[in-house]
Amino acid sequence: MSVEEEVKEIVARIVHVDKSVLTREGTFKDIKADSLDIVQAMVAVEDKFDIEISDEEAQKFQNFGDFIDYVESHVTEKEKA
Amino acid sequence: MPLEGKLALVTGSGRGIGRAIALKLASQGSDIIVNFFRRREAAEKTAKDIEALGVKAEVIRANVGDPAKLDEMFDTIATKFGHLDILISNAASGVGRAVLDVDIKAWDWTMNINARAFLLCAQRAAKLMEGRGGKIVSISSLGSSFVWPTYAVVGVSKAALESLTRYLAIELAPKNICVNAVAASAVETEALKFYIKEGLMSDTRQATPAGRMVTPEDVANAVAFLCSEEALMIRGQTIIVDGGTSVAPFTAAG
Repeated sequence: MSVEEEVKEIVARIVHVDKSVLTREGTFKDIKADSLDIVQAMVAVEDKFDIEISDEEAQKFQNFGDFIDYVESHVTEKEKA
Repeated sequence: MPLEGKLALVTGSGRGIGRAIALKLASQGSDIIVNFFRRREAAEKTAKDIEALGVKAEVIRANVGDPAKLDEMFDTIATKFGHLDILISNAASGVGRAVLDVDIKAWDWTMNINARAFLLCAQRAAKLMEGRGGKIVSISSLGSSFVWPTYAVVGVSKAALESLTRYLAIELAPKNICVNAVAASAVETEALKFYIKEGLMSDTRQATPAGRMVTPEDVANAVAFLCSEEALMIRGQTIIVDGGTSVAPFTAAG
């Protein structure tokens, strides 16, 4: 499964929405996720890919696309290392 | 210096009250393990400020609400240092909701970080204090005994924390480990801004009977006292740091 699909799967599971409603342009606000959902989704993604997403970085995400790109770039970085 | 050569773990010490406690203990000579979860930059800054005081600092990232991560943190401490003298259970989180809106997820999240983490930390810390004694201080809040709007699940978790403090104090007394809690009223930190923004409490940044807001340093001073030999006969107590607010509920402040 691609990083994008895995991130979507995690978000869908935590926020209790169908994976199909998650688009790159969509936001946590669109799917009515509360602050706890967001933190839990971040933590679950961090655990899954063994990366760290700081609050500072997370605040810069405009939508799921930014979130996915961030995870993808850090996973690639890890693989290179 | 009273804490020279000691090693202290302060959970959630990247910012706020935890940071003030870490710096206070460091200023008394203790080496500090800075635990953080979400903000690495803040934690690195705390560590740098600790080192500037002439003691050692070690930064460890761990969500204390996750038992596996918490175990990893203590494994690192056990391997690297082999002992611990002081545990400050400070890391906290919470969900601001009316009691009737608290769901299982919000309950578990808050209870696991605020109450269960203290149990698990104390269990691991007690082993690292074996044969040398130690001090354990948990950080509570007035919400354990008093009602703030939508603070319910946090208040309940703090009540559990204070009760656990009493049980631990008795069970660990024969091991020469002192266990106490410090409960503060609203303290001027980033977390307070969050609580006010989320409507968890009204903006109470007004004068207490003592004439000003409680600061993180006020809390840190009480913690440092409980970590000192002078406090040896204080066991299982919750020391309230609130500028007199809780004993004067009918005094309109400000």
